[in-house]
Amino acid sequence: MAERDLNEMLKEMESKSRLHAEGGVDHLDDTQRVKVLSPGRLVFKRFIRNRLAIVGSCILIFMFVFCFIGPIFYPYEQTDKFYKTDILENADYAAAQKRTEYSIIKVDESVSVHYSVTNMMNYYINEMKKTGDDIMLVKSDSGEKYLVQYQADNVYTLNVSNLNRIGVHASELLICEFDMLTQTLTYSEGIVMDEAFGEMAKTAAMDNLDKFVYDGKTYAVENTGRKKYAVKYYADSGIQYIAENPGGGFEDAVLAAITEGEKTFEFGGSRYLLDQAAPGAYDIYKFAIGDILFVCSTYSVDILSGAAVPADFVKAALIGYCRGGAFSYNGIDYVISEEIENRDTVVNIYRLGETKNPYARFTTFSVSRHSGSGDLTIEFKEDVRRKIEEMIEQGKSVDTLITKVEKQASDGSVMVDEDGNVIYEDTKVTITRKGDNYTITCDRFRYLIDRYAPPFSEVSTDVHILGTDGDGFDIFARIMYGGRISLMVGFVVVIIETILGIIMGGISGYFGGWVDTLIMRLVEIFYCIPSLPIMIIIGAYLDAEQVNPYIRLIWLMAVLGFLGWASVARLVRGQILSLREQEFMLATEVEGLRVSRRIFRHLIPNVMPQLIVTATAGLGSVILLESTLSFLGLGVKHPLATWGTMINSVSDYNSMVNYTYIWIPVGLLICLTVIAFNFVGDGLRDAFDPKMKS
Amino acid sequence: MKKKKTSNLYQINQVFLPPNGGVVIKMLKFIVKRLLLSVVILFFSMFLIYLLMNNLPTSYVERTARELATQPGSQKSAQQWIEELNKQYGLDKGVIPGFFTWLSHAIQGEFGESWQWTVDVTEKFSEVIWYSFFLALIAFILEIVIAVPLGVLAATKQYSVTDYTVTVIALIGISMPTFFVATVLKYVFAAKLGWFEPFGMVTARLAGKLTGFAWLLDVAWHFVLPAMTLTIIGIGSLMRYTRTNTLEVLNADYIRTARAKGLPENKVIGYHAFRNTLIPLVTILGGSLPGLFSGALITETLFSIRGIGYTSYYSMINGDIPFTMFYLAFSTILTLLGTLIADILYAVVDPRVRVN
Repeated sequence: MAERDLNEMLKEMESKSRLHAEGGVDHLDDTQRVKVLSPGRLVFKRFIRNRLAIVGSCILIFMFVFCFIGPIFYPYEQTDKFYKTDILENADYAAAQKRTEYSIIKVDESVSVHYSVTNMMNYYINEMKKTGDDIMLVKSDSGEKYLVQYQADNVYTLNVSNLNRIGVHASELLICEFDMLTQTLTYSEGIVMDEAFGEMAKTAAMDNLDKFVYDGKTYAVENTGRKKYAVKYYADSGIQYIAENPGGGFEDAVLAAITEGEKTFEFGGSRYLLDQAAPGAYDIYKFAIGDILFVCSTYSVDILSGAAVPADFVKAALIGYCRGGAFSYNGIDYVISEEIENRDTVVNIYRLGETKNPYARFTTFSVSRHSGSGDLTIEFKEDVRRKIEEMIEQGKSVDTLITKVEKQASDGSVMVDEDGNVIYEDTKVTITRKGDNYTITCDRFRYLIDRYAPPFSEVSTDVHILGTDGDGFDIFARIMYGGRISLMVGFVVVIIETILGIIMGGISGYFGGWVDTLIMRLVEIFYCIPSLPIMIIIGAYLDAEQVNPYIRLIWLMAVLGFLGWASVARLVRGQILSLREQEFMLATEVEGLRVSRRIFRHLIPNVMPQLIVTATAGLGSVILLESTLSFLGLGVKHPLATWGTMINSVSDYNSMVNYTYIWIPVGLLICLTVIAFNFVGDGLRDAFDPKMKS
Repeated sequence: MKKKKTSNLYQINQVFLPPNGGVVIKMLKFIVKRLLLSVVILFFSMFLIYLLMNNLPTSYVERTARELATQPGSQKSAQQWIEELNKQYGLDKGVIPGFFTWLSHAIQGEFGESWQWTVDVTEKFSEVIWYSFFLALIAFILEIVIAVPLGVLAATKQYSVTDYTVTVIALIGISMPTFFVATVLKYVFAAKLGWFEPFGMVTARLAGKLTGFAWLLDVAWHFVLPAMTLTIIGIGSLMRYTRTNTLEVLNADYIRTARAKGLPENKVIGYHAFRNTLIPLVTILGGSLPGLFSGALITETLFSIRGIGYTSYYSMINGDIPFTMFYLAFSTILTLLGTLIADILYAVVDPRVRVN
């Protein structure tokens, strides 16, 4: 009360003396020479005298206008995606492949064949192609025997084998092995000899003989290793029969097949197979081809109308092809016939009853759209196929041709006529070879996300002041929205910190004693806990749980606020410790005010100046921390923009070098904002108390 | 002048060699008290951190274990990882017994095997710590050499252009985010000028081939940009601190006395003022010595310097609990040690401070 009276008195005197001074001269003791300012105005006056503080304030005002009012007038939102249509020169249009790998189609899914056979199918087929055989005996690791049969060009089958082992032919036949240490005699598979032979072989080996005669035949004994001997039978011809001898002349037939290198031969109306078991030794089987287990083929099917080909249709057609050339699919019967067309053999599929227009045809060539969706016309496929065959002949790896491709409107969509049919136009198409694959490219219009557009680029009528980023978002718009979030995070975190700090510090400072000790120890604990690692851990955890970006933002602010209250509490406590000894606090006690009122109405307002100073400087550091976390990808998340995330999006080295127009403005804005807060904080500190230490 | 020197000496003697021997004992008492307090604070800090790590949902731990089991080089199954984790950290025992299990292991120096690096935590630590230390040491020395003279200069010419420039530079240094400084340096010196490499500690094509001095030179060459980053970031606050403290000293009576007796200005500044400015400076610099070991998390990560900061960053984001717990404990100890050293140094350097 007294203060106000004094003020009014002074003002009165001032006005009086001003009246006086209008006519007269200023005296040294004139009261008008003493300007009395309210504390608030004094602070303000000191503040505006500080040039740096004024610069800082101007920057901050600009930032707020820019971030909070700017977006209202700016036409784009932070998550507006921008697109452009562009002629993509040599855009991938289709891919062609000459299939050389045989794919396996199981006739009956329930029959299982050991993987050692299925994995080797391509090898077997290649071996058969090399030797020109049409039958091959294959054995799986688990011991089953199958027959691979040639059906037609590019089509092979795996069949059940019905084998009947007739005997063993050997020009050099290993009869048995003898181990002198264990005195054991092991006969080769399928050979049975009597005991007398065994004894004789043993003695021969023990006596170190080269050969011995048994039953009129000479057997050789060879030392094969340490105390190991092999008993072999050398003969020009000779079959050890296991089953019944098919008859006279069979041996000659076998020999003829062996000398000619044939794997199969016919004798007496049955077919026989020679399986080389060891050099010079053959197993002779009588065989009949059993059921087809697999169809292996490089064929796929093109339906000539250009319709999509279901996988089941291909399967049915291939199985039908192997079983004589007819099949039915979805209730419709089809017939397969091999025809000569332009000196090439083609395999056509007709609907039953049709003979003129094939419905589909087999091809080892698969041509598909690059996008994977939609079908290509048969003309296109044929053109490409012919061209590629020509290329293979000429040994070219790149070639061009003119063929019909869908006509595009300038926005990238396919043009159709009045009836809704797609319009085709002649287009130059380039075919490039990469191994067995061919890429077919041509110039296409594409509707694309306008990624990394440079500043002021004007694609499809949108102008982007700072260009666009990797998602096609307008950078300028994102800078403004990002600034909103960064500033908001700063303010919310500082408010949480300050409120927590005031409560804890106020209680601690006012009550003192054990409460004070307790809270101060807590403060020290919070001082020690490293906050950046904690934030990184929480960020990584939120990442793992894939939390919604908005909830994440709230988490971020809450945790940052909770980790930062300690310094505020310490400051408040320190101030209150000195303030509570002063007379005005005694007065509140005398007046009998409540404790909470004494703390929060009388003590805290006196701490306000320091609080404002630390809060202003704190704002800067919170913005720094938030942007660092977002930069590390652990703070605010896409699609929400913050300054840190925007720099993060171009943080890898190549983008950093190429897209400077994204990260430099954003980085400068962060610096500018934080500098401004520091300038203002410094200015406020000097204004509140010129003698206060930093 | 000589008089002053002797009086100073006398005062220091009073602190250390008092006739009644009370101050040294007081000092020792103070240190012991602070040490005990630090242990208590450390205990509770680690408890809070353990609480946080423990309350990460178990699914997180299980998934990490499963991922670890499928990692090449891991010889344990997911179930074994979880069991090991439970055994080592007592995660199945509840928070308090679990914490004591961890603590009893930690006191014996057993921090377990790192999940991320598949070696013992302490082994990985001793492998990487020295890179961080030398990087930090270089930056620390550079900071002192640049910031202290500039700070003193700014204070002696208060409100001049120099002062404003230094203040603004200091504030800019404080206000720049580390990642921005690092990016700008990379852009200018690695991408545009091509003087340095943007990443790594050794030239990739020479990795493993260099030994001895050549290797040292290569590493030093890679440390230039990170050290520059750290210096730019750290220089601001030290400069401001020096300036404020020098200003305070310059307003002191003994400076006025020195000037009044006609000492040349450089003597006043260089001898009387600077020596007194050193008191708070030595205190704060001594206090930041343990911090040299704590590693520069962001700078190391950005420049792929395989120090403790880099290692712990990847441990943290990959949920490597053993290493993270170790790193947090380590940096908490460093912080406590820093405060303790600063407090002790303050009492040692400044005889006016009453040890209490």
